[in-house]
Amino acid sequence: MILLWGMSGETPLALVHRALERHRAPVFVLDQHCFLETELELTLSPQVQGTLRSGADWIELGEITSAYVRPYDSRLLPEANAGPDGSACSHATRLEDALLCWTELTSALVVNRPSAMASNSSKPYQSVLIRSFGLDIPETLVTTDPNAALEFWEKHGSVVYKSVSGVRSIVSRLNSEHRSRLQNIANCPTQFQQYIAGLDYRLHIVGDEYFVSEIFSDADDYRYASRKGGSLEIRPASLPQDLVDRCRALVAFLGLHFAGVDLRRNQEGKWYCFEVNPSPGFSFYELATSQPISDAVARLLINGH
Amino acid sequence: MLVVLASCHDRSARYLVERWAAFGAGMITCEDLSVAGWRFWPSSPDASTAVVDGRVVPCKDIVGVLTRLPCIFPWELVRIRPEDRLYAAAEMGAFLTAWLSSLSCRVLNRPSAACLSGPNWRPEQWARAASSLDIPVKTIERSVHHGATPEPGVSEPGSVAVTVVGHQWFGQVDPSLAVQARSLAVAAQVDLLEVRFSGCDAGSRLQSINLWPDLARADLADAALQYLRGESPPLPHRP
Repeated sequence: MILLWGMSGETPLALVHRALERHRAPVFVLDQHCFLETELELTLSPQVQGTLRSGADWIELGEITSAYVRPYDSRLLPEANAGPDGSACSHATRLEDALLCWTELTSALVVNRPSAMASNSSKPYQSVLIRSFGLDIPETLVTTDPNAALEFWEKHGSVVYKSVSGVRSIVSRLNSEHRSRLQNIANCPTQFQQYIAGLDYRLHIVGDEYFVSEIFSDADDYRYASRKGGSLEIRPASLPQDLVDRCRALVAFLGLHFAGVDLRRNQEGKWYCFEVNPSPGFSFYELATSQPISDAVARLLINGH
Repeated sequence: MLVVLASCHDRSARYLVERWAAFGAGMITCEDLSVAGWRFWPSSPDASTAVVDGRVVPCKDIVGVLTRLPCIFPWELVRIRPEDRLYAAAEMGAFLTAWLSSLSCRVLNRPSAACLSGPNWRPEQWARAASSLDIPVKTIERSVHHGATPEPGVSEPGSVAVTVVGHQWFGQVDPSLAVQARSLAVAAQVDLLEVRFSGCDAGSRLQSINLWPDLARADLADAALQYLRGESPPLPHRP
């Protein structure tokens, strides 16, 4: 049995579900929206066992051979904040923690375990790991010092800022409007990165398979190109084999079975690696390029363990 | 200089900083993360600067860091607007993960990607690790039902603590329990760990784990000091 855990209707989860149905694979869908009807019994003695119920459906945890997990923060679910006594929120967080605990302990294939995904919660931490695999990263400064930021900006001419943590933020280039606001960085460490002009690539690694997309956009952060009135075109592409091999070694080192690697080739042909996304929103690329990424994820899950 | 990274409400941390004053000990709290002066280059961490007790310090002057925080707590960020505290806490925590990982000096405990000090495993994960080391453990059960009140954690009477600080250990127990506690520390890649057993005799069961034992005790504080100053060896961890 394959467990799918996340928000029903969320495109990546829905695409994988559809691919599994095409393969006629047995699936148990745990919809986060239905957490109030979800119950879990978990026992460690020392093997992990238990029962997961969602409405009228239930499954023995031992029957699960693989899981694709894309849960959102339970505390942010609208249903978790309904009701006067906070019991819904408490239930949501306890359920999430117990399920995450199971994902760490089960012998089933988990795409991906939270502990393997954790490096993405600190971008500069992950960038050091990226560099240790022979991949170049843009010069980076994290600082609370406005003078240091200014020096860094002047040194590189063009600089972007982005979140340090895994909290999603829009990557933006510093411009003259930011100069007067630089004093604010004293409040919280802020990450600045040398801007690399060039072409973006997204490498999806799924088990032994991989897919490359080439992104043409005039936006600083192509994910938000349409919102910012920018252009966007995504095409299937290829990468130098040596680069792919390094990325695969990195992803394997991180313990990830499925990952999206963000790369950029500058005008001189030098490659930079920005990030390894452990829970990639691959549907954005699959729907644009028709690359069968969800099918590869389904095959990975079917093979299990 | 020695650095203690802790909550501003942590009295044990204050005690340690005072006790270690002769070694230039200072404290980093979340207040210091809202002071101009931090400069961190992931590619050349030795050139970085930190803010300790409100003062800018070259990172190369830091010889040891004791970390007494799992993460940055949003409610401590009183200088940050309430609506921004959750985000700022995540950013500060992510920054400290990278910064602490980059230090070439002794760090007790080194951070993991998920926690500022050690792996921060759940009780089930500690029990699994202990079990794989042939340490007796009890069955752990969780039952999550909407509307059911979670059962409060019950501290079993008679539990006995072993505190591991690098190669040193403290506790009135059979030495075999100390060996087990140290094995557990090696498995978790940490050098500071409090392990509670159901009794002091060989064969006692694992009860609980604490990555942030209270070091406001002279023998433990001295052991931590020796460790941080490189006067006692670390446990054999994977590179």
